[in-house]
Amino acid sequence: MSAAEGKTAGTGEPILVVRELHCHFGGIKAVNGVSLDVGRREIAGLIGPNGSGKSTLFNLISGTVTPDRGQIRFDGHEIGGRKAHAIARLGLARTFQIPAMFDNMSVTENLLAAAAEGHWQGARERAADTLALLKLEHVADNRASDLSGGQQKLLEFGRVVMRQASLILLDEVTAGVHPNIRKIIVEAIARLRERGTTVLVIEHDMEMVRNVCDRIIVMDAGRVVATGPFNNIVRNSEVMQTYLGRPQ
Amino acid sequence: MKPRWAVFLLLIAAIVVLALLPMLVNNYWLRIATGALMWAGLACSWNMLGGYAGYINFGHSAFFGLGAYVTALLMGDRLAWPFFATLPAGIVVTALFAIIIGAPTLRLRGAYFAIATWAFAEVLIQFASVMDFTGGIGGIGLPPFLDERFFYFAMFGAAALTYLITWALFERSRFGLKVKALRDHEPAAEAIGINTSLVKLQTFVLSAVTASVFGAIFAYWVTFINPKSVFGGDITDQMVVMVLLGGLGSLWGPALGGVALFVVNRIIWMYWGDTAFYIAILGAAIVLVVLFLPNGIAGMFSRRVAKSGAVLDKAVGNLVGGGPGRPS
Repeated sequence: MSAAEGKTAGTGEPILVVRELHCHFGGIKAVNGVSLDVGRREIAGLIGPNGSGKSTLFNLISGTVTPDRGQIRFDGHEIGGRKAHAIARLGLARTFQIPAMFDNMSVTENLLAAAAEGHWQGARERAADTLALLKLEHVADNRASDLSGGQQKLLEFGRVVMRQASLILLDEVTAGVHPNIRKIIVEAIARLRERGTTVLVIEHDMEMVRNVCDRIIVMDAGRVVATGPFNNIVRNSEVMQTYLGRPQ
Repeated sequence: MKPRWAVFLLLIAAIVVLALLPMLVNNYWLRIATGALMWAGLACSWNMLGGYAGYINFGHSAFFGLGAYVTALLMGDRLAWPFFATLPAGIVVTALFAIIIGAPTLRLRGAYFAIATWAFAEVLIQFASVMDFTGGIGGIGLPPFLDERFFYFAMFGAAALTYLITWALFERSRFGLKVKALRDHEPAAEAIGINTSLVKLQTFVLSAVTASVFGAIFAYWVTFINPKSVFGGDITDQMVVMVLLGGLGSLWGPALGGVALFVVNRIIWMYWGDTAFYIAILGAAIVLVVLFLPNGIAGMFSRRVAKSGAVLDKAVGNLVGGGPGRPS
């Protein structure tokens, strides 16, 4: 079953609630009053032009960067300003825009490291399953830094799978990868949804967004400018202007 | 024969030879072997933080010196503790110092961490030089015990235990995975739930107390210590070069580098006496290793890291503030 076929709307209380979130770097307002909800078991797409604040929002939610003000509630816990490892232990996992490899460790060790804190029982079997799911068995003993760019994206995604998280943030996980690798990732996302995982994904590939996501959140200049199903979003004139520019 | 079995048999053979060595050589060579085992263990203790965690510690001699001074003070005329009772005391004192120093300094990275740890060792040299209870700059003596075999087996036991702990913790457990993960990408390690501050501190304390045990045995062995002889920066410098030569972040590299450099040191001493020539060799060794042997001697035999020098790149890159640490 493809991710698109398995689409269901988020149900019940949202797993992620963000309210009036602000973060600035010097004079730049990277995130400027963002509010959004992500429902349980939902696959939400976060789109917007470069510099619109998407990755900073991920950094704020995952604890990599501390917000200036605002609220972030994840699975009933207030997590704004908490340390990244504490948030991860609550069941949130993420990938980075540029793959964050443990370069000097093997592919298998990279996966096992993701289970080292809190999910160790059966980790070796899960690592083998993840290698099979992502078709990385043939490079299991290779160093992570020796992988191709696409394989590194797969491996980082594999670490997220190993975390058994309830909310996953994917930052351009298919950017610049071969269509075969994109297909593997899309199928893996569908498997995650079947397990009940919620996914928030930053993506520039509109084809993938349309096929995978239940709902789209559009950001521009650090703010959410639109939200809704894909077909509504592409008819939204403000979104079109954000992507294509305003007519002169 | 599979490589794993070959390594195992080699290890058994090495243990047998080392265990029988006192019966095979005279006291002079036994002292050299005792020193080689001490340096192999010290290099391994430095490698725990420098190689596995990627934090270059230029003040590691501080912990060697703490172990030495605690044993010297407790075995002195006033307290007269037995040697083995001083070991746990040295471990506790060193662990406390390591926690107090490590908690703030491990928030730093690269050159800032290296400078902070170097400064800590310098503070201890000055402290031990001016305080009366440490004997000041003149140093402090211990009750002599002239059994070379005892010190050989003490160093052998400590070194064997150090390598066993390193193998079990850093190569075979999830703790090792956490340590190596934070070395390679700290934000990503945090993102998979690893409390990097805690893991770094645990590694720092383990590395420190290991060095202190060797310091304690050393003090009893040489029967006299002063601030320069146990806190001196050249002690750390030698550990760093031994690990670089043997293989940064590898299990056996520090042993290979430690034994090789110490034997060179003794040969130079035999032929030319106490000369600065050894220091020149250390400097040349750093340059040659960085340029031509980035994975050290151990890397020549490792399939996975044979050509890259990536651990050295990571460590030196961290030290100089990002980017590749080595000319490509």
